[in-house]
Amino acid sequence: MEILRTENIVKYFGEFKALDGVSISVNKGDITLVIGPNGSGKSTLINVITGFLKADEGKVYFENKDITNKEPEELYHYGLVRTFQTPQPLKEMTVLENLLIGDINPGENPTTALFYKKWIPKEEEMVEKAFKILEFLKLSHLYDRKAGELSGGQMKLVEIGRALMTNPKMIVMDEPIAGVAPGLAHDIFNHVLELKARGITFLIVEHRLDIVLKYIDHLYVMFNGQIIAEGRGEEEIKKVLSDPKVVEIYIGE
Amino acid sequence: MSFDIISMILLWFGLYYIVSLSLNMEFGYAGIPNFGKALSVLVGAIAVGGILDRLLMLYFKINGDFITGSTYATSAINTIIASHPIVGIGILILAIILASILGLIVGAIFILPSAKLKEDYLGITLLAISEAVFLICTYNLNIIGGYYGISTPDILAFVSGEYRGWVFAGIVLIIAFLVFLFFERLLNTPFGRVLRAMRENENTVRAFGRNIMMLRIKTMAIGSAIGAIAGVLYSLYTVNIIANAFTRVDWTFFPFLMVLLGGKGNNKGVALGVLCYVVIKVLLDIYKYNIKYALNIPFEPVWLSYMLFGVLMLLILYYKPSGLIPEKPILTPPMKKKIAEIKQ
Repeated sequence: MEILRTENIVKYFGEFKALDGVSISVNKGDITLVIGPNGSGKSTLINVITGFLKADEGKVYFENKDITNKEPEELYHYGLVRTFQTPQPLKEMTVLENLLIGDINPGENPTTALFYKKWIPKEEEMVEKAFKILEFLKLSHLYDRKAGELSGGQMKLVEIGRALMTNPKMIVMDEPIAGVAPGLAHDIFNHVLELKARGITFLIVEHRLDIVLKYIDHLYVMFNGQIIAEGRGEEEIKKVLSDPKVVEIYIGE
Repeated sequence: MSFDIISMILLWFGLYYIVSLSLNMEFGYAGIPNFGKALSVLVGAIAVGGILDRLLMLYFKINGDFITGSTYATSAINTIIASHPIVGIGILILAIILASILGLIVGAIFILPSAKLKEDYLGITLLAISEAVFLICTYNLNIIGGYYGISTPDILAFVSGEYRGWVFAGIVLIIAFLVFLFFERLLNTPFGRVLRAMRENENTVRAFGRNIMMLRIKTMAIGSAIGAIAGVLYSLYTVNIIANAFTRVDWTFFPFLMVLLGGKGNNKGVALGVLCYVVIKVLLDIYKYNIKYALNIPFEPVWLSYMLFGVLMLLILYYKPSGLIPEKPILTPPMKKKIAEIKQ
């Protein structure tokens, strides 16, 4: 069953056509990967889907609802969350605080904040959940460390943890293992697999095909702002990767 | 040191603590570079001079020119306050309520043009708006008397002159303490947490469902309401308002210095920053000529404090950007409880 679909997305940066009619379809419960060389438009696509950039043409549907050019803060409420290419932890805040930002507490409204009884129950729930997630990610011992003091890989894990706070339907990840040591990179993807087993859909942009290949269900290859190949399932993915076009622009790079 | 100096230090500590606490929420917590902080203090003066004085003129049925009329109105109310202290306190409370409401509205509107601006431009825009209002209030004599100034009621007309400074300092300190309690309660919550998160990274906060503009509006509305209270107290203390007194140096730059010196994001640290500033400032004011002659300084000593505080600001930013008492993580009661469980 399809959860996300884009139809002929076009995005210009001035004269430069960064996305040239991109249509993809993401199935519920899949790990869908978009690969392509630098500048092929992968990150732009993700930024359009998650509302950080506005499409010039085309449509984005999430669970058959038109979400084209909605603001990021609205998409969160649809169950669509994302992580960023460069980890964007809240550096001066602790790991625990970073996770708590993943869910919204009524006490974030100043008028409610003054009446502790109105937000403490939700806060208790959130704190419990945050520690469960930290345990799952094997980060419990770091809960009171400032996020800015963590390693790059740990920061990515914190971002994933934050994304898990609301039981999202879909997590969009922009290069989740860029700059992460191979051991930790596999750890991250094993976590992704476990979350997939719980029914979460992933759309991932990644450069390091060698590491992620064995984890994915669906592959898109982008080049010059276009999708040039697609395959779902082991057989088809193999076929895509031996396609001379793909070999030339991606592997041969 | 005479007792007057101490009452002076206490009074200024209270006034600046109120302003700095509100700036600390806006800048220290939420990361909004509010270079227009002085505007909110001016709003307090407008509530007293522009609104309260006019209400008094209406009440005493005084017609004619605003500047002279307000003088008659305030001397009439002062006579009443002298025999009925409760009226003085009532006027103080009324002025604070008026100023808070006006501050809420002005703060919320003040931040609107900045909807699409990044941090640097936001700061400059706020500064420009604040300066524009300051100049209008200075040169348009119909708002709060401009550079001529107008009288304000002496809410302590029932207290004899020699104790007035002390009693007023006491009132200001009590209100400053209440403002401190208010901010501690307001900010050690998910609200404080989301403000800090916004300071650290707006994109992350947006990706997680928060509307940055709404957060900014709420923050600036509250911050300006509190800043306006300081404006009320200052105007009522001096028993007259001169618009030129609400300069960006005194009410924006120095509060920034106090917040940075004490520790941005830390309400208790800010108290220390304010105290350091006020003590240095008052002592410099009193002993500036002694210093000039002792050190043979070849310029007017009024510039001493500007130079000293300018250098101090640079030193803090360079060597100790987190201030004297750095901020601490926000621990809500459920977080404290859970952490205590884990540590056992």
